[in-house]
Amino acid sequence: MTSRALAASAAIVVAVIGFVLGARAVALPAQEQVPFPHVEHQGLFPLCTGCHEGIPDGDAASFYPPPASCTGCHDGVREERVTWSGPTDDIDNVSFEHDAHAAELAAVGDPPQDCASCHVPAGGTRMAVAEDVQLAGCWSCHAHVANDHMADADCASCHVPLASTRFDVARIEALPLPADHGTDEFLASEHGVLAEADVGRCATCHTQDRCVSCHVDTERASIAAVPSAPADMELPVTPVHYNVPLSHTDRDFLATHGVGASRQSCGTCHTSNDCTTCHIQPLPEAVGSLPARSDVIAPGAQVVGRAPSSHESMFFIEAHATLAAASETACSTCHEESFCVSCHDAPSANEGGGYHPAAFLSMHAASAFGRDSDCASCHNTQVFCRQCHLETGLVPAGGGRLGPGYHDDGPVWLLRHGQAARQNLEGCTSCHRQVDCTQCHGVLGAFKVSPHTLGFDAERAWARSPRTCLACHVGNPLS
Amino acid sequence: MRRAASSVVLALAIALVTTAPVALEAQGFRGWTSTSVQLVELRPIGLDSVPRSEVSTDAQGRFFFGDAEVTCVLATICTGYFALDDERTLAATQDLAVTVWGLGVQGLSVTAHVRGRARAGGDVVWPRSDDEFDALLAYAQLQRGPLRVRAGRIDVRSGLGLSAFDGGSAAYGLGSYRAEIYGGRSLARGLREPQNEALRGLDGFLLDQTVLVIGALATGRPWDVPVTVHYQREILRDRSSLVSERVSFDASRAFPRARIDGSIDYDFSFQRAGKGHVTLSVPFAEGRWLVEASALRYVPYFDLSTLWGIFEPVSYSEVTARVGWSPGAWGAWVVGGWRTYADTETVVILTPMRDTGWRANAGARWAPAPAWSFDASYDLEWGPGGFLSSGQAGARYDVTASLTASLSVLSFQQIEEYRLGEGRAFGGSASASYALGERVFVSAGGSLIRHRDGGNVFTSPWNQARAWTSLRFELGGDPGLGGRGGGG
Repeated sequence: MTSRALAASAAIVVAVIGFVLGARAVALPAQEQVPFPHVEHQGLFPLCTGCHEGIPDGDAASFYPPPASCTGCHDGVREERVTWSGPTDDIDNVSFEHDAHAAELAAVGDPPQDCASCHVPAGGTRMAVAEDVQLAGCWSCHAHVANDHMADADCASCHVPLASTRFDVARIEALPLPADHGTDEFLASEHGVLAEADVGRCATCHTQDRCVSCHVDTERASIAAVPSAPADMELPVTPVHYNVPLSHTDRDFLATHGVGASRQSCGTCHTSNDCTTCHIQPLPEAVGSLPARSDVIAPGAQVVGRAPSSHESMFFIEAHATLAAASETACSTCHEESFCVSCHDAPSANEGGGYHPAAFLSMHAASAFGRDSDCASCHNTQVFCRQCHLETGLVPAGGGRLGPGYHDDGPVWLLRHGQAARQNLEGCTSCHRQVDCTQCHGVLGAFKVSPHTLGFDAERAWARSPRTCLACHVGNPLS
Repeated sequence: MRRAASSVVLALAIALVTTAPVALEAQGFRGWTSTSVQLVELRPIGLDSVPRSEVSTDAQGRFFFGDAEVTCVLATICTGYFALDDERTLAATQDLAVTVWGLGVQGLSVTAHVRGRARAGGDVVWPRSDDEFDALLAYAQLQRGPLRVRAGRIDVRSGLGLSAFDGGSAAYGLGSYRAEIYGGRSLARGLREPQNEALRGLDGFLLDQTVLVIGALATGRPWDVPVTVHYQREILRDRSSLVSERVSFDASRAFPRARIDGSIDYDFSFQRAGKGHVTLSVPFAEGRWLVEASALRYVPYFDLSTLWGIFEPVSYSEVTARVGWSPGAWGAWVVGGWRTYADTETVVILTPMRDTGWRANAGARWAPAPAWSFDASYDLEWGPGGFLSSGQAGARYDVTASLTASLSVLSFQQIEEYRLGEGRAFGGSASASYALGERVFVSAGGSLIRHRDGGNVFTSPWNQARAWTSLRFELGGDPGLGGRGGGG
């Protein structure tokens, strides 16, 4: 610190006595208070310290004279009675420690400054600190790199936190807006960085209530360090606003947002309720790290559940099986298994809903032949299909008939059914029982027609399932 | 579940019922219940006899009663299939699906989806309506960090299809990778019953013991490619025979301008590749155009619990192309596919059967206003076994934010090459759904299809009428999509 600066600071030691006494030089709105008539008393108390003896020493208890001392003269006899009851609540937010500043002057060998160095000279209506004193005095040490009062400022050097003031709503709203607060980037990202670097700057004009009106992560150090407003402090109503980060506008964000999701990355704006808008049990681990909406004051950037872009394709129904098979977890993020089962496990009674389209029953034969639907993936054709075919008369109660009549080639059908069977054996099983085939096929059949092709690996079949072989063969057919 | 309800499932169901009130008081739950009732009127067919004197014979020696082909073995009587009188049945389904958590143990939850069925009146037994109760899902789950353990009635979905079992599973996730192993008593596909009991009374060759299943599932995203590998093996309880042993592999990869996905499975018990496909999707013009090409190989799958597999069904291979166009409120698509079957190695008498097939589909959707949407499509399919030509058109109107009405009409012609029955059918349906608040939904509708004969044995067998209504009530958060803050 230069001697010049130190000298200026020393001047302020005394000057700020006026602040403490009620001088309101920083364009503060006047409060309902009758200022002490210093001029009328200057003859009686020529020295400021006559009344404010604690100021130079920092003794807060004796910053002001006790109100009772007024009655020494204003006893109703010598002088009329007065109602002064001591200083009113400080409505300023300036913090100035006279004794500390005086000590700094003394440390560098500078002479102490008298009160008038900073305070309005005797005869002023109030013991204010003139603005030029602030500029020349305070800023000579607490100088800003820029000349703007609030740019890159170490506010806490001169100001107390807003929560420590008695500011009313009008006074709070009148606080000036720093230039760097006016950009979109400030709200989106910069203010957090600045808060981490100097939370005192934030606290000068804001209480913690302002932070937690938007922030979900109230445990963040820079938020916790901002004092909360006293219970009786009325604060301006400020709108809650959440900027949408650029990353969220990416087309694939919905699909990829889980990667790296954590309390650190999501917890500024989102509560766990946002996650459960879409996610179901079991919830991803990151969800549990976020607070519930009921646990925080901020509403959080509430999300609206929407289907991923893949669902928007008009071909999604056809493609969803492959997508599900390739990434089951992607489905289970939003869908419970019962959601799949409600369509896949059994036909819905609601013809308009379910897996199959309307009127599917009437047309399912061709679809089954053409394999547009993979029936056997969900249905056991030997039970599900056959039961209905049996009930509707397609399958005689005694079993499938092998004679002509049903199949449309008459007697010839029997001689050419093998090709059809190998092409669409699932269709056969929807009506026929195994015994219908073994009447003729197999070593026990009437015609002992082999059901096997020339390339049939009997040895392998026996090794894997001898019971299947023994359905027709008596003993090991290979022995 | 019939009599085969396992003690595990019952215990879980009881646990669910008894703990649900506690859970409702604790952390959270979500679920839904749905009550559906449908009336079906259809016309079964039956074998009947006609006098031999009224039957004519064509040049190939086939017998006809009018236009209907019949079988004449006896001198005086011929038999054939004829449509019987209309029959009706009323089938009701009651679903309850619920997941509860907050049971006093961190990470513990219970999930159950049970379905009750009932049939009232009519001679037709609607599929599964005689199965009065099913526990489709019923398991307890413990999730601790990356580890998830389940016990009860569980299902697994993958390229191998939908598999269900009574047992346990354990899954461990690490980043984008996840591995799961499971095992238990295998349930018949789509039936939720032990395999040996599901087939009881329906066939002559039956499993006389339960089937055990073990499997492992692994998923991951190596090089940003989602991959799933699923291995599953089923054996008889006495381990005397293998029932099935398969593995599937699925992968997909999204590029900036295209997406490719594919799958294939392999059957160890028959030592052959099973189903497989590869699809390339390429969107253009910011997604307004979509061009897709697919190659598919399909093999009917049968396990060794039946004889069907050793009859050696053959595969077919199909290529498909799809072009979609969606400029704003419009959307239209065209699909074409051609397939060919592998050699069946069968001796064919007279005319060989077709071994190729093709299909085409075209459709469009139009939403001129948020409350209105129209759609129409046409399908044409021709291959071994069947021919189908069908068209449908529909409209949907959101009368209010809560009330939606829809209407559709359709017409189709199908010829089942190996079976009797052809002709044209016309019909339509109308339905409406109403949301009573955010959690209660009511819907109802009806459909009518009338068959015009194609000159074959049947007389209007495709005639059918349906009416249905359903009531759905959601509990807790939306269990299907969107939790609305129900948990967390």
